[in-house]
Amino acid sequence: MSRAEKQFDQQLLDLAHTLLAVHAVETSVYGKAKTQSITPIPQRGSFAFQVLVDNKLVLKTNNAPDHLIVATANWNDNAHEAANKQLRHPPKENFLEVNFLDKRWRALALSTKTSPEHASLVSVIVAQPLQAQFVLAQELILAAMTPMIVAIVILPLLIYAIITRGLKPLHQLRSELGKRKANDFSSLNLQAHNSELSDIVITLNQLFSRLDGAFKRERHFAEDAAHELKTPLSVLKINVHNLTQDFSKRLSIGHMSVTAADVSRLDSIKELTSSVNRMGHIIDQILNLNRTNSAQIIHGSARFNLNVILQQVIAELYNGILNKEQSIELESSDVDLCAHEFSVHLLAVNLISNAIKYTPIGGKIKISVKQNTDDIILSVEDSGSGINPQEYERIFDRFYRVGGDQHNSDALGCGLGLTIVKHIADIHGAKIALSSSSKLQGLQVDVHFKHTIVELAGT
Amino acid sequence: MRILLVEDDLPLANALQKSLQNDGFVVNHIDQGKLALNALSTSDQDMVILDLGLPDIDGLNVLKQLRNSKSSLPVIILTARDSLESKVQGLDYGADDYLVKPFEIQELMARLRVIERRLGTAISSLICVGQVKLDAYAHKVFVCEGNSDSETQVHFSKKEFMVLKALMENAGRILSRDKIESQLYHWGEEVLSNAVEVHIHKLRKCLPDKFIQNVRGVGYIINHGC
Repeated sequence: MSRAEKQFDQQLLDLAHTLLAVHAVETSVYGKAKTQSITPIPQRGSFAFQVLVDNKLVLKTNNAPDHLIVATANWNDNAHEAANKQLRHPPKENFLEVNFLDKRWRALALSTKTSPEHASLVSVIVAQPLQAQFVLAQELILAAMTPMIVAIVILPLLIYAIITRGLKPLHQLRSELGKRKANDFSSLNLQAHNSELSDIVITLNQLFSRLDGAFKRERHFAEDAAHELKTPLSVLKINVHNLTQDFSKRLSIGHMSVTAADVSRLDSIKELTSSVNRMGHIIDQILNLNRTNSAQIIHGSARFNLNVILQQVIAELYNGILNKEQSIELESSDVDLCAHEFSVHLLAVNLISNAIKYTPIGGKIKISVKQNTDDIILSVEDSGSGINPQEYERIFDRFYRVGGDQHNSDALGCGLGLTIVKHIADIHGAKIALSSSSKLQGLQVDVHFKHTIVELAGT
Repeated sequence: MRILLVEDDLPLANALQKSLQNDGFVVNHIDQGKLALNALSTSDQDMVILDLGLPDIDGLNVLKQLRNSKSSLPVIILTARDSLESKVQGLDYGADDYLVKPFEIQELMARLRVIERRLGTAISSLICVGQVKLDAYAHKVFVCEGNSDSETQVHFSKKEFMVLKALMENAGRILSRDKIESQLYHWGEEVLSNAVEVHIHKLRKCLPDKFIQNVRGVGYIINHGC
């Protein structure tokens, strides 16, 4: 706006100079006589000017008033002086705002002396209505701004459309990856037309297939290792059995009869049997630990009856309970759990076999399932000696056993059971709470399962 | 009873053969799936012990082909694959039982005997657990009194006998109430909610103390050692 104002002022000034120059020449050529009558000049209204020679109005536009636009009092006094100064100095613009004809005008007065022989003072007062200035400036600004404003509205839309179009393959890639489950390694089904993205898709697909291969190999390794380790172990077991049989036959010749049961009670045979069993247990636990890696669980969760699983587990482990003359109790109604069935089975096996191991002969074990509004709690309590609360954190560590090497139990174990339990709980987003059983005085393990496990947590 | 042992691991096969022969079974050993199928199509076998990890054909395929040829030969699977899925798969393919390596030889013997009784090839149809003898064909139950050799016959109703038979055949294993119930009644047959408890109560009255044990919340069991 101020620049527009400056521009208008410059115009006004130029007009004033032109008029001044014209009249100065005219006055000097024709003398004063010619300029006695006031001649109105038709004007549309953008400018008004008055020309004075020796303070007499000689020329004016028809929209200019008869009186002087700029108050003449100080004008007259200083006119000569000012005129003199103007000869030496360039005329100084002296803009004023005045009112006449019901309008506000911007006015400028300039004066100059004509040639020394005539020595008359020619003054010019030029004025322009401020309204016109303002309207023009506004129009100018509007004309300049309108395309900008339109552009401001349209450009973002255009830019948005272009960027969206440009990023569409990237969005597809993102949604394609977002839909993917953690353990899904199938290749991406995505057509990328621009070279950058197609490179990414190709690289990703290669990565997926390599990962898939690696996981498959790992899974197969576990299975192959199981087969390779378990077969010789079976051979060992059967041969121990055959050995006892042979031995009893050999001893029976001529002497009183010795049964296989008698032979199996021999120290060395007992040691052999328990070592073979222990080895089998360790192999099982290592494989289970490997299997319960979240990356290894490929099948999703399903709904099953937790009560049935617990009955199965107790039935499987009943020989151990019987050998230690313990009593076991299952307090549960039919509770449906949505989880990975094999892992929950494994979790129960580990918790219950721990309870059997660390509960003395004739002890009690209680398993219960409670269904709350927001979770399902599986509790295993025993009448054993429990665990010091300071060790609660550490017992989930791999190969950690309470008491370390001086582990005071002859039970076979390798310190992986609770690690496996923790793995399985983590996969299901379940929490494990350890405490001292209020009824049986031993350890109480509570596993809090959520009601619905929508997605198994992957790595 | 003639058993065809299909197992590619020679030491295991030899050891198993020896154990089974000791227990009075006739065992033929074969180490390849194709040979096993040949042997099964020609020779007269009573049952098969099948390893799943065979070098030429997968054990499950052998089982599938065997079942496709309408053979109802009992099959026990021996395998190192112990995941629930492979177990279910094996049984779906028509295996009669499934043993995971390393297995207890007594466990295998017990399962062989169950099959033997079912086939009717057993020399004796007697099941003996502790002081109790059960004759599966004559539907008779005998109890030895104390240390004397005298036996007294105990009379049970048909359903009671079936409960006892199921428990004695599975001696050492817990049977859940549901499982016992399913062996007693046809589908749609009306069952009283405490029918099994009533039968067990009657059985307990006539049998030695603590012969049938209750595992609270789980089921019932008869132990070998009783």
